[in-house]
Amino acid sequence: MIHLIDELKVIPGVIGACIVTSQEGVKVTNLPAIFKPERLSLVGKHLLKLYSAGRMSFNDLTDVTLHYDESVVVARELDKGMLMFAICDPSFNHNLLTMSFNLLYEEFINGNFSVVANETTVAAAPVAKSALPSEQKISGILQDLLDEMKDALGKILGPMAGFVFDEVTEEWMDQGSADFSRIDELIEQINQEISDEDKEDQYRQLISSALKSYQKG
Amino acid sequence: MATAKDFVDRINQIDGVAGCLLVKDNGALLGQTLDDVEVYSTLLQLSSSLSRDIMTNIGFSHCRYLSFSRLNMQNFYVFPIDKYLLGVVQLADCSADAMLERIYRLIGRVSTGGSVIVS
Repeated sequence: MIHLIDELKVIPGVIGACIVTSQEGVKVTNLPAIFKPERLSLVGKHLLKLYSAGRMSFNDLTDVTLHYDESVVVARELDKGMLMFAICDPSFNHNLLTMSFNLLYEEFINGNFSVVANETTVAAAPVAKSALPSEQKISGILQDLLDEMKDALGKILGPMAGFVFDEVTEEWMDQGSADFSRIDELIEQINQEISDEDKEDQYRQLISSALKSYQKG
Repeated sequence: MATAKDFVDRINQIDGVAGCLLVKDNGALLGQTLDDVEVYSTLLQLSSSLSRDIMTNIGFSHCRYLSFSRLNMQNFYVFPIDKYLLGVVQLADCSADAMLERIYRLIGRVSTGGSVIVS
């Protein structure tokens, strides 16, 4: 289950996430150690109550969000008595987190992951290598580079990376030829989507070897 | 001096606001432009109390607002203002960010600008 919330943590502005149940308290968390498990259990129980109260008023309730001065807490019910929540910087990308919540919720209800106790492996977000919209215009070797860049973006943006990468690449190809001479423009457009200087640097590092390999031919 | 009715009316005029209500933290209703006031009023009190509990447990300092997101996009917002609670229902098709900014600016003026909400 840890991989589920690790995908949330790679979203810019997300400090970490937690899954709690009303019976067992914290099921899994990747929040920094400063957030003690016993405190998170209490927070989880309060959030479960808050969610239940919201559900009594709104039967189409999706998320509950609490905006504090220092941080934002976003909670989504996974199942009766089970809830996941993320703690984020106030500048986090709410839409991206909501979309990731939707994807992970789908995974959960489809049973695509199992509850494994003490699972600690940090998995990079898998990014599907779906065909790019204008793939036929791209040379094979450039396509390999783009695939590597897309995979690397998964480690930065999580489950939305594939979607974001395809959109940005499509826009990049609309603006000119799909050529390596314009790769800096593509990277710049991707950086705008990442919108976090540290993560942008991290992304540059992740793709640097792929770019060098391409240049060497 | 702003009355509760003035305040509720001004909040209600903000683009994107479908309706609102203002209650004291003991549940007493001060003004509203919504139906089903009892449902919202109870949720306001519960959510304010639970958000304070969460704040205490996790070590945060101040809750600006809570939001209940809905599939129909008519999200419900709760703003704690000193001893009062403002609840706002959002129109489905609106810019929530702009609406929240205007509400928060107005709340800032009411609670810090020397005015007092009176019923």
